[in-house]
Amino acid sequence: MRKFAYLVPKTLDQAVSLHQSHGNRAMYVAGGTDVMVKVKSGKITPDYLISLKHALGSPQLRVNSDTGELHIGSLVTHRTLETSSTIKRHYPILHDAVQHIGSVQIRNVATIGGNLVNAVPSADGAIPLIALDAVAKVYAGTGERTVDLIHFFEGPGQTVLAPGEILTEIVVPKQPAPSAGAYQKYGRREAMELPLIGVGVQLSLEQGSNRCTKARIALGVAAPTPMRSLAAEHYLVGKEITEETLGEAGKLAADESRVRDSVRGLAWYRREMVEVFVKRMGMKCLERIKEMGA
Amino acid sequence: MTLPINNGNEGGPPGIGVSIPRADAYMKVSGREKYASDYYGEDLVWCGVKRAGVPHVVIGEIHTRAASETPGVLAVLTHSDVRGTNRQGVLQKDQPVLADDKARHCGDAVALVIAEDRHSLNKALDLVSFDYELLPGVFDAEEALEEGAPILHENHPQGNLLLSGEYRTGAGASAMAECDVVVEGSFRTPRQEHAYLETEAGWAQVQDDGRLFIVCSTQTPFRDRSEVAEALGLDLHDVRIKAPYPGGAFGGKDGVTVQTLLGLAALNSGGRPVRMQWDREESFLAGTKRHPARLYYRLGAKRDGTLHCLDVHMVLDTGPYDHLGGVVLALGLEHAGGAYRVPHVNLKGKCVYTNNPVGGAFRGFGVPQVTAAIEQMIDMTAEKLQMDPLETRLRNAVRRGDKNSIGKTLVNSTGLRECLKALGEHPLWKSRAEWKAGAGAFKRRGAGVAALTHASGYGPVVPDVANAKVELTREGKFLIYSGVVDMGQGNATTNLQIAGSILCQPTDGMELVLPDTDRTLPSGSASASRCTYTFGNALIGAAENLKTRILQRAADLLMARSRDEIVLIPGGVRHLVSGKDLPLSVIAGFMDEAERISVHHFKAPTAPENFDAGPGIRMHGFPHTLFSYAAHLALVEVDELTGEITVCRYVAISDCGTVVNPQIYEQQIQGAVAQGIGFALCEDLVSTQGLILTQDFAGYVIPTAADVPEIDSVPVEIFEPSGPFGLKGVGEIAMNGPLPAISNAVADACGVRIFEYPMTPERVLAAIRDACKRISE
Repeated sequence: MRKFAYLVPKTLDQAVSLHQSHGNRAMYVAGGTDVMVKVKSGKITPDYLISLKHALGSPQLRVNSDTGELHIGSLVTHRTLETSSTIKRHYPILHDAVQHIGSVQIRNVATIGGNLVNAVPSADGAIPLIALDAVAKVYAGTGERTVDLIHFFEGPGQTVLAPGEILTEIVVPKQPAPSAGAYQKYGRREAMELPLIGVGVQLSLEQGSNRCTKARIALGVAAPTPMRSLAAEHYLVGKEITEETLGEAGKLAADESRVRDSVRGLAWYRREMVEVFVKRMGMKCLERIKEMGA
Repeated sequence: MTLPINNGNEGGPPGIGVSIPRADAYMKVSGREKYASDYYGEDLVWCGVKRAGVPHVVIGEIHTRAASETPGVLAVLTHSDVRGTNRQGVLQKDQPVLADDKARHCGDAVALVIAEDRHSLNKALDLVSFDYELLPGVFDAEEALEEGAPILHENHPQGNLLLSGEYRTGAGASAMAECDVVVEGSFRTPRQEHAYLETEAGWAQVQDDGRLFIVCSTQTPFRDRSEVAEALGLDLHDVRIKAPYPGGAFGGKDGVTVQTLLGLAALNSGGRPVRMQWDREESFLAGTKRHPARLYYRLGAKRDGTLHCLDVHMVLDTGPYDHLGGVVLALGLEHAGGAYRVPHVNLKGKCVYTNNPVGGAFRGFGVPQVTAAIEQMIDMTAEKLQMDPLETRLRNAVRRGDKNSIGKTLVNSTGLRECLKALGEHPLWKSRAEWKAGAGAFKRRGAGVAALTHASGYGPVVPDVANAKVELTREGKFLIYSGVVDMGQGNATTNLQIAGSILCQPTDGMELVLPDTDRTLPSGSASASRCTYTFGNALIGAAENLKTRILQRAADLLMARSRDEIVLIPGGVRHLVSGKDLPLSVIAGFMDEAERISVHHFKAPTAPENFDAGPGIRMHGFPHTLFSYAAHLALVEVDELTGEITVCRYVAISDCGTVVNPQIYEQQIQGAVAQGIGFALCEDLVSTQGLILTQDFAGYVIPTAADVPEIDSVPVEIFEPSGPFGLKGVGEIAMNGPLPAISNAVADACGVRIFEYPMTPERVLAAIRDACKRISE
């Protein structure tokens, strides 16, 4: 393995300034489960690794009781999300996703911020957060800016972050009640797997009926970046949620997806799975909303 | 470090049939066991290989200068630096250590770099280049046999045909005309990667006395020694190979991996120790694989379900080198008809050179491929006759004294019928109808069985021998010299259990010496389901012999009338008449060195039959005489909309003779079933034009613990008189079952049969769609 200097700035400003002075020879690191693997294999060769551990402070996972917004610090680990009762009860779509990322050992270390910044098309963390309309908070040295998560990704491995910018937090707005979501990571085995396709559905219903007031359908591995199927979402709003309408939404989402052939799975199959799992996740949303009401 | 262990007899000697803890368990789980990759030493240097990266080329000049001039590089070596034959291989010596004339697959080694550290090593490897002339490649085993196909080995008399076999009994395929039903099937099985935890690794140094010392992860230290000496031009006695516990092997370390390269590096490192460790990608690229097979079957039966005629044509892709491809072909041919009486058989098989990754030994060794076919042909026959698949198997299953499908008379224990009957009584089989009816929406459930047989040992020509050695040290401690590698199966522990039960010593009171060509005796490879059968028999002889000597010497010392009055007790002996004890250290003091070391030779029995299956096939191991048997049951659920198969429960009922250590026995069954499930459902080393597309574990998917169902392992213990304490081999047989059992279960669940493996959700869904289309038309 190539040698590098490991820097541990105390504040965000120090981190940004270190990054500025070393330019593209420097790289931020959080949990390190992606960065270190790439460094060891020689795929990336940074001279400086800048740890964000202290600069970002202790990882926060909290609900703002005034606004109802969920704040997830970017250093929050997948394991923290997986074991949080708040996430499990109120954001089941996120719980579905994080519990199948890597292994427990990886989830203990890997951070949600790292998962997003890494920007692989298969990022399991991104899909449910996009379905929840999450916003990314970015520290740029000169101040803070916010980006809707759906616009955060530009291509495989590429985000809107400018060199030196730091993802500090993800904020999930309060969801209209009643609503629930569900995520399916569909892969070829139960653990240590990248999804062949990832499907997240988040539905809000009219009080006391099955009429849809808001729908989010987010897809992973269906395009070079995480995507939403606007056609399917648009179709569902105002309709009764039934197997039939979800089936139709599934078809629309499948049509809108831009899946590809790869050695891990064929495009025709991925497209069909979008259809199958949009429907299945939609039905799961209904079940979950019923359970919450009960 | 000694630990309190439950040896089934508190503080006393281990019993036979008792789960004593594995001797390697504590050291391994606490990270203290020293594997081949844990050897370093002062002044260590690293070596690594420049791989061809192109599947078929004539090699021109190799440019090493830029690499040699890299700081930290000691040497860059090519074929011209090899003083011996520069060839390796088990039977055909057709694989160069460093490519000289041609590269025949992407993983061929072109140059060897020695460097101070891994960073300089990798830098230098990138700087090695070579001129080459591209040759057309051949990447399909059947195309490789066509006229005009590019030839891999110009001096091989049969072109790309490495070895072929042809064998007929009765009227051969012409008896198909006498059958009431005939079924046909073509099957394709995938290239499977061993995927051991520890990749190929080793350490080597030229010792002060000038001898080459290699420590490596291997199943075959003694054969490696010969290969290394010959390829590098050394005297056999100037090479020593030591084999620590490998971190998994499964056949992939049956033969040379790093050994010769390490040896060459050590000869050129100025006496400094050298280490080599392949990373996962290199292991995928250069390591051996299970041979992909094409299997064309026709099976004919009488109306009552009696099998009458079998016609088989099989083609194996061995990649560019023999390795053990010919032997795999011979074992595949022998097992092509399963464990059934079939009077008329016609078998044809070919093992073919291609520019694909190298085929080699892999748990099962040709048998998983043919079992996949025959066990589905049986279900297809049963379906056509509207018979129960278990009944159909019972009707044809061999008994002791029967001739099997190649006409070999079965003289040893033959428990297939007992396994099948036990399966028929198993609660999961009896309750299958209710279980199937409980499937949820869009789910179909099915049950599938497979009957299995697996030969052990080397066959009629190559002697399957072991030489055991047991020593009573001057201090009164027993040393058990393991001649056969324990790559994880647990045979080292079984050796202690066998020796301890004879010598009446608790296992923690004895010491194991792992295979080492300077210390232990040649006892063959850790392969072929032979380890405990062959070595155990030798060990019993050695231990009994030493016991007799100790008792005799003790009888003299204690003035007993005969040695019958003396027994061994932990740490000593007791005179039963006087009640007097003597510690072993005292008795050892009255024995000279020659008396304290006992050796015993055992040769496994061979078949007396001399079947003519074509030139060389007998030499390659056809036929065997000793077989294990099993009956497997898979309960699966198929998702109709995704094509996903979930194996919900699995039952493996096995006749592998007496069970010496139930825990180790069960681990063998579970491990093989898990590997078999991978073979059936997800494992496929995909290569296109000789380039591997599944280059790591993100692309090549093996099952995790979460993917393997609860496995019920039930031994049917039939005493095998020729086996140590009545045992037979258990290491491989369970590998053969999952593919056909699962495929039969899928057919039972949704009426479609998959003929190309692994049974990925894509393939299953496509098959379900095709079936729906056919019905609607």
